[in-house]
Amino acid sequence: MHDTQWRVFEVFHQSTRGEPHVHVGSVHAPDAESAVILAKEQFSRRQACVNMWVVPAEAITATRYEDADMFQHGTDKSYREAFGYETTKRARAVGDMQEI
Amino acid sequence: MTLTAEHSALATAHREALADLLLRMADDELVIGHRNSEWTGFGPILEADIAFSSMAQDEIGHAQAYYRLLQDLGHPDADTMAFARPSAKFRCSSLVCLPRGDWAFSVVRQFLYDAAESVRLEALASSSYAPLATLVRKLRGEEKYHLLHGRTWMMKLGSANDESHARMQKAIDELFPHALGLFEPTQHESAIASYGIQPRESVLLEEWRRSVEPVIREAGLRVPANASPVHGGRTGKHAPALAEMIDAMQKVYRIDPSAKW
Amino acid sequence: MVMLAENRNDKPGDPGFEERLAAFEDRVARGDKVEPGDWMPADYRIELVRLIHVHSNSEICGALPEGGWIPHAPTFKRKLALCAKVQDEVGHAQLLYRAAETLGKPREEMLQELIDGKAKFSNVFHYPAKTWADVAVIAWLIDAAAIVNQTMMSEGSYGPYSRALKRICYEEAFHLTHGYDMCITLATGTPVQREMLQDALNRWWKPIMMFHGPADKESKHTEKLMRWRIKLKTNDQQRQQFLKKYLPKIFNLKLTLPDPNLRYDEAAKEWRYTEPDWAEFLSVVRGNGPMSAERVQSRRLAHEQGAWVRDALNAAATNQPVPMPPAVLAS
Repeated sequence: MHDTQWRVFEVFHQSTRGEPHVHVGSVHAPDAESAVILAKEQFSRRQACVNMWVVPAEAITATRYEDADMFQHGTDKSYREAFGYETTKRARAVGDMQEI
Repeated sequence: MTLTAEHSALATAHREALADLLLRMADDELVIGHRNSEWTGFGPILEADIAFSSMAQDEIGHAQAYYRLLQDLGHPDADTMAFARPSAKFRCSSLVCLPRGDWAFSVVRQFLYDAAESVRLEALASSSYAPLATLVRKLRGEEKYHLLHGRTWMMKLGSANDESHARMQKAIDELFPHALGLFEPTQHESAIASYGIQPRESVLLEEWRRSVEPVIREAGLRVPANASPVHGGRTGKHAPALAEMIDAMQKVYRIDPSAKW
Repeated sequence: MVMLAENRNDKPGDPGFEERLAAFEDRVARGDKVEPGDWMPADYRIELVRLIHVHSNSEICGALPEGGWIPHAPTFKRKLALCAKVQDEVGHAQLLYRAAETLGKPREEMLQELIDGKAKFSNVFHYPAKTWADVAVIAWLIDAAAIVNQTMMSEGSYGPYSRALKRICYEEAFHLTHGYDMCITLATGTPVQREMLQDALNRWWKPIMMFHGPADKESKHTEKLMRWRIKLKTNDQQRQQFLKKYLPKIFNLKLTLPDPNLRYDEAAKEWRYTEPDWAEFLSVVRGNGPMSAERVQSRRLAHEQGAWVRDALNAAATNQPVPMPPAVLAS
C-alpha cells in the first residue's frame, strides 16, 4: 500500500468517567501514536470526552452477519429475566396486605 | 476610557504594564492562529488538516479572550482591536508573522510557539493579576494537546527519511532566531515583574530552552548554535508580510467599519 | 479484521443470484440495514461507491470556495465559525471516504481519481465565491439543500453510509444556522451589505436549483436506487421540499429570486419554476464549470505538496516506535 492507505485504527470514545467507550469511527494511520493525534480532533471536537482508545482494526475479531441467528433464542429464555416472574401477583394471592 | 472600580484602583503604571503584556499575547495568538487557519482544506492528510484547524481555532479563541481582558483595562473590544487596527500597532513577534511555508515550517513553528506558550501560561497561572491567572488555567488543557501534537510531529518527521529531516532542519534553522524573539523584553519588563504579573522574559526564555532543546535533539535534529534573537515585533517593527496579512484579514471589515458583520 | 463487503456470485446469471437477490431485497424492504460483509448485488455496491465517492469529493471540494474566505472573515465570531465549518467539510470527507472504503474502494484511489479529473463532485462547487456574501449564501442555502438530501440518505439501507450521514447532518445544522445568521445580518445591514447579498443570491440561484440533480423524467437510475433504498426520494421531491421550506425564509428577508416563473401552485401544492438547463448541469459536473479546473488543481496541489509528509510518516512507522510522555498517554 502507498500513501495514506495505512492500517485502519478503530476509534472508541468515552464521554465521561463511568460510561462505556463507544465506537465513533476510524482513521488511517501509520502507527498508534499518530492515530491518537489524527483521531482526537476528528472524533472529539464537539462531544465531551475524557478518554479515547485507538485499536488496530485487524485486532478485532468479528462474527459474520450471516451468523446473526446464533444470537437468537430458540426457546423461551424469560426465566433469565425479572419480567419472567409474577411474584407480586402470587404474593397478593397468599395474604390480604395491600402493600407488599 | 471606561474602567471598572477594580481596574481604576490599579496605578496607571500597573495598568500599562498589564496592557503591554496582554497585547503582545493577544496579537501573537491572533496572527499565528490566522496563519495556521490558512491550512484548513489544504493539509497533507485529511485528519492532519482537521487537527491543525482545531489548533488554529484554539489560538484565535485565546486571542479573543486576551483582548477581552484588555477591554477591561479600557481598550476597544476584540473585533475593533483585530479588524480596525493598522499593522504597525500590532505587537506580535516576528515568529508568528512569517508566511505559513511548507508543512515542516508550520509544524516546527507551532511546536516552538506552543512550548513558549506553555511556559508562559505556567508562569501566569500564579500571576498577581487574578483575571489573567484564572483565564490561563482554563487554557492549559488545550495547550496540552498542542504540545502532544507538536512533539509527535517533531519525532515523526525529524528523522523519518532524508527529505523530511532536511525540511525539518531547514525550518528549525530559519525559525529558531524568530522563536528567541518571542521573549523580547519591552520597556515594561521591570514593572511586569515587580508587580508580580509575570517573571522576566529572560527567565521564561531559559525555561523554554530547557523544554524545546531536548525534543529537537531527540527528534534527531540540531539546535542552532549561537542563534541571535530577531527583535522588533514588540515595538511594532514588522516585516512587510504582516501588513499583507492584516490587509487580507481586514478586507471585508473595511468595506464598512461601521456595519455589523 | 478488515471488514469488506462480500462479492461472490453477485451478478445476474451467477449461481444462486436470484435467490440471494430476493432475500436481499426482502431485507432492504423491511428497513434492515446492509452491513459490510453482507452479500449484496454487484450493482448495489457499484451505485453506492459511485454515490459516496461523489459525495466525499463534494465535501473536500466544498472546503475550497469557503476556505478561501477564512483569512477575510470580518469578526472573531465569523472567523472561528467559518474555520470550524470548513474543518467540518474536511471531516465529512474523511467519514465518507471511510464509508466508501468498506465497499472495497481505497481512499487513495478515490483521491487520485479526483485530482486526475476522473471523478465528479457537486455542481455547486464548480462556481466561484466572489464576495463575502457568497460565503453566507453557500453556508445557508447550499447547506440547506444538502441537509434535505443527506437527511433522506441517512435513512438509506447501507449501514456505514447511514451512520456517517447521521453525524454529518448534526454538524450541517450548525452550518445552516451560521449561514442563516450571516444572511440575516447582511439583509438587515447597510444598503451595501444588502446589495452584496442580493447579488450573491442572484448568481447562486441557478446552481442551487440544479443541486438535487436532473428532473425525474431525465434521471435514469432512480427506480432501482429507490427499490434498494439507496435513495428514498426523487430529485424533484427533494427540490420541492427545499423550496417549500426555504423560499418563505428567503422572501421574509425581502430578497428576490431571478426566476420570473417562480410561483406557488395552490392546487398541486408545489412550487413552479423555470426548468434548469440540464445539459448545462451535466457539462458543469463533467468539469466544464467556471471553477472546475481550479478546484481540481487546488486539490492536486495540496496532495502533491503533502506527499513528502505521507512518505515520511510511512518511513517513520517502519522505524522504531516513538516513546510518548507517560503522563499524556497512560494506559
